[in-house]
Amino acid sequence: MKIEVDLKLCEGNGRCMEAAPEVFELRDDDKTHLLMERPPASLYDKLRLAARNCPRQAITLIED
Amino acid sequence: MTNTEFSLDAIDIITPDHYAKNGYPHAEWAYLRKHKPVLRVERPNVQPFWAITKHADIIQISRQPRLWLNGPRLSVFVLEPGEEVLPPEAFPLRHLLNMDPPQHGEYRSIVSRQFTPRAVRALAPQIGEITRKVLDDVADRNQCDFVTDISSKVPVAVIAEMLGVPRKDWDMLFRWTNEIIGGGDPEFQHAGDPRETFEQARLGLFQYFTDMVTQRQKVPTNDITSIVANGKVNGEPLPTMELLSYYLLLVVAGNETTRNATTGALLALIQNPEQFQRLKRDPGLLKTAVEEIVRWTSPVIQFARTAARDTEVRGQKIRAGDSVCLFYPSANRDEEVFTEPFKFDIGRNPNPHLAFGIGEHFCLGSHLAKLELEVIYRQLAERMEDVELTGPVQRLRSSFVGGIKHMPIRYKMKPARA
Repeated sequence: MKIEVDLKLCEGNGRCMEAAPEVFELRDDDKTHLLMERPPASLYDKLRLAARNCPRQAITLIED
Repeated sequence: MTNTEFSLDAIDIITPDHYAKNGYPHAEWAYLRKHKPVLRVERPNVQPFWAITKHADIIQISRQPRLWLNGPRLSVFVLEPGEEVLPPEAFPLRHLLNMDPPQHGEYRSIVSRQFTPRAVRALAPQIGEITRKVLDDVADRNQCDFVTDISSKVPVAVIAEMLGVPRKDWDMLFRWTNEIIGGGDPEFQHAGDPRETFEQARLGLFQYFTDMVTQRQKVPTNDITSIVANGKVNGEPLPTMELLSYYLLLVVAGNETTRNATTGALLALIQNPEQFQRLKRDPGLLKTAVEEIVRWTSPVIQFARTAARDTEVRGQKIRAGDSVCLFYPSANRDEEVFTEPFKFDIGRNPNPHLAFGIGEHFCLGSHLAKLELEVIYRQLAERMEDVELTGPVQRLRSSFVGGIKHMPIRYKMKPARA
């Protein structure tokens, strides 16, 4: 699974970091930064939660 | 929930009088969620729309802002007797809620950094002080109108501070927002009809900010008025209508909704006293309590979206140009999403409500609203006891924003600190 973050939509709400801090880090620029682009399958549930919880729906998960 | 039957031709989820008299039509929405989640509504006094009552459908629609547009229709408005439909040019406002991508994001990003959780947290001490003063003012008596004396005062003060509006002008700001949102309610009409009332308030607010913009362009400051006044879209300053509409949106949005959530919360705590006791015993529940307050009160009743091309919702074909009306309070009681949705539970977790919307137009002020609610309810839980209604609540005559105009209460309030 690959993660894409639409940085035009990302506004620093931080719900992604709450759901999956291993993968998403909200920094002082008020944008989320990916700590890994292809996380292990053990994190997939957390990724789906992060994508669902993002208030602006800025996260896309691509199954490939 | 009762098993009331409704006729789909006559079911009323939109007339302002129905909301004023009965509050939110939860029985009607529950019926529609079960029997007709995508309902074509055609009535003589309103432009047709499809009523959307399910949580999943509001998410699906909201996630596609290039298919489901804000521009053509902001919200479903019911015409008053004798009123005629106005052409689009007659609605002069151009702000974030009227815009679609890519323009929407360009405008939103001018202020979005002022509303992040981080930026908003910095306001906590000020919000605390404002709230403390408001409560001190009613601590020496044991009756008041919770709306006029408490819940209406905090949000207007906070947004006014953020905008750099001086204290002496706060009452005027408050009156304009009442007239802009509440123009359909006779209590807030002074120009004789809702449209006139709205127009006069809009012009007053526009003139006020025109003057402030001139000052801020000469001498920039770090308040939001200055940030917008000196903002750029595609390298250019904002056109006049977009500039002034921006202030109107920030003032109105920051005012009404938070006030209504604050008031509705106290009503819920009066009706569920064990929840108020729970909050007093455990202030650690404040964060989940605030989410539950927002879900329960859902101050924004509906926004509309218009289909940019032929599409479908839940198998129902929808033609390009047709609008849907998204009923957020209905989504927030969806039995398929929430366990015991009609229970007010301050410990509810998770709480995936849609009261702030979702997607492109997700409420810019959500963190500010939640912080205000947290501060107010931390202080009320500490200081207010034995609170009861001393009369009926009076509701706003509106099917757009759910409001309580007056809530007379009796209480004991711990005195101001020495």
